[in-house]
Amino acid sequence: MGGYGDVQLLRDDGLRLDGRKIDEMRPVSIEAGVLPAADGSAMVTHGLNVAVAAVYGPMEAHPRKIQRQDRAVIDVRYNMAPFSTSDRIRPGFNRRSREISKVTAEALESVVLVERYPRSKIRVEIEILAAEAGTRCVGITAAAVALADAGIPMRDLIVGVASGKVEDTVVLDLDKAEDNYGQADLPVGILPNTGEIAFLQMDGDLSPAEFELAMEYNFKAAKEIHEIMVDALRRRYEGGEA
Amino acid sequence: MVELVPALLRQELARLAEDNKRLDGRGRWDGRDVTLEVDCLYNAEGSAKVVIGGTVVYAGVKFELRTPWPDRPTQGSLMCGAELRPVAGRKYEPGPPSPQSIELGRVVDRGIRESGCINMDSLCIVPGEKVWGVMIDIHVLSDQGNIFDACGLAAIAALRTAVVPAERFDVGEDHRLEVSGTPIMASFTRVGGRYVLDASEQEELGGDERIHITLGDEGHLHSLQKGLKGVFTPAEFAEIFEVAQQRCVELRKLVAEKEGN
Repeated sequence: MGGYGDVQLLRDDGLRLDGRKIDEMRPVSIEAGVLPAADGSAMVTHGLNVAVAAVYGPMEAHPRKIQRQDRAVIDVRYNMAPFSTSDRIRPGFNRRSREISKVTAEALESVVLVERYPRSKIRVEIEILAAEAGTRCVGITAAAVALADAGIPMRDLIVGVASGKVEDTVVLDLDKAEDNYGQADLPVGILPNTGEIAFLQMDGDLSPAEFELAMEYNFKAAKEIHEIMVDALRRRYEGGEA
Repeated sequence: MVELVPALLRQELARLAEDNKRLDGRGRWDGRDVTLEVDCLYNAEGSAKVVIGGTVVYAGVKFELRTPWPDRPTQGSLMCGAELRPVAGRKYEPGPPSPQSIELGRVVDRGIRESGCINMDSLCIVPGEKVWGVMIDIHVLSDQGNIFDACGLAAIAALRTAVVPAERFDVGEDHRLEVSGTPIMASFTRVGGRYVLDASEQEELGGDERIHITLGDEGHLHSLQKGLKGVFTPAEFAEIFEVAQQRCVELRKLVAEKEGN
C-alpha cells in the first residue's frame, strides 16, 4: 500500500471521491459465452475493469509429469494486456502475474470437482483488458463463470471481491486512487453458498476489528456479485432473463 | 504425425469446391459478418474490438515519450505487435512470442506504416529531444479463422480513434492523433484448390497457403504477404486482387461509420 496521508480520499460529506458510499461496490456486469473458440468463457466489467476468462478442457495433461493420477490439474494464466494500464506494460509474464496465477489456480482447484477428471488438465486463461484496481478479483469472478459456462462441475461458484482501508475508514471495493493511496487492501475469493474462503491476500495495515468489518463488506458484496453471475449463466442457458 | 482429421477435412473441402460451395454455405467471396466497436477500453488511448464470425480481437493504442533516433531527429515512431496468447484457442500454447504471432504483428505493422497514414514528423515534440512513440498492441481472444483481417481492422480503427495524451505527459493539450488514411487488409486462403475470402477455422485447418493484401484509400498496395506452403499463379492473384479492392472499400466504410460516433 502506498499509504500517502496527503491525498484526500473521502469527501467532507462522507462519500468517496467517485460518489460511492463506504460499503458500496462499483457496478458489475457479466456476460457468459463471449469467446466462441473457448469451451467456456465470460467477460466481467467491474467499474472500469474489464476481464475476460476462457476455459479449455478438461483435456489430456501433458507433459506427463504434470499429470495427477487422482485428479485434474488446473493451469491458470492471469495476464494484463499491454494497453490495460495507464503506462503500457511490456507483454509477457512477470513476477506479479505469476503469483496471481498460482494462487488463483489453487483457489479454483478448491471449488472444481477435480477428482472427476484424473490425469487431465483444465486450462483457465484470464486476460485483463482494462485495469482500474482489483483485477485479480475480477479475474477470479470471470474464471468462475467461464468454468461454469464450460460445464465443469464445481462445489460452488467463487466470487472475487476486495475491501480495504482509506483515511482510517474501512471501505468496500477500492478504486484506483484508493488502491494507490489507501492503507490496506484485502482481496478474497468467497464461495457464496458455503460461505467458505478459497482465495485470500492482504497488504497494508488493519486492526482485528477493521479486518472483521472488511470481511463483512466482502461477504455482502460477494452475495450481490453472485446474483449477477448466476443471472449471466441463466441468460446464456435459459435464453431469457432470470 | 499424420493428421487424420485434416486429411478427411481436405477431402470434404475439395469435394465442396468442385460444386463451388463452402462448408458454412458462403460463396467464395463472401465474408462473415463483421462488427467493429471503437473506444471500448478504459486506459487505452485508442481501442477497438473486432468480431468476424467467431473470431474476437482487441487492439489498444498507447503512447510514450522517447528520444528520437540521432539520424531522424524530428521523427516519432510506430510499433505494432500482436499477441497470440493461449486464450485464443486450444492450439495456442504459452511461451515466448511464436513465429505466427510475429508474422501477424509485422504484416499488420507494414500495412499501416507503408500506407504513410501516420506522418512521423507529426509525432515530434522537441526536435532531437522528444518525440512520441505510438504502440499498437493487438490481442487475439478467440481464433475461429482469419485473425489477420480482424487484427488489421482493429489496429487501424484503434489508431484512427486515438487521442494523444499530451496533458498526462505535460507536453501540451490532448488532441486526436493525425491519421491520414485507412489501410485495410483482405486475406485469402486456398481451400479445396481455389482461393476463398475470409476463411473459417475449419477452412484454414484443411486449407493451404494464404495471401494477405493491404490496400490504401486509393486502392494502392501497401503490404503483401504469402504465408504457409503453396504456390499461386499471376491469374489467381489478379482475381483475388479485384475482390480485395471491393472488400477493402466495404471495411473502410465501416471504420468511417464508427469514427463518426
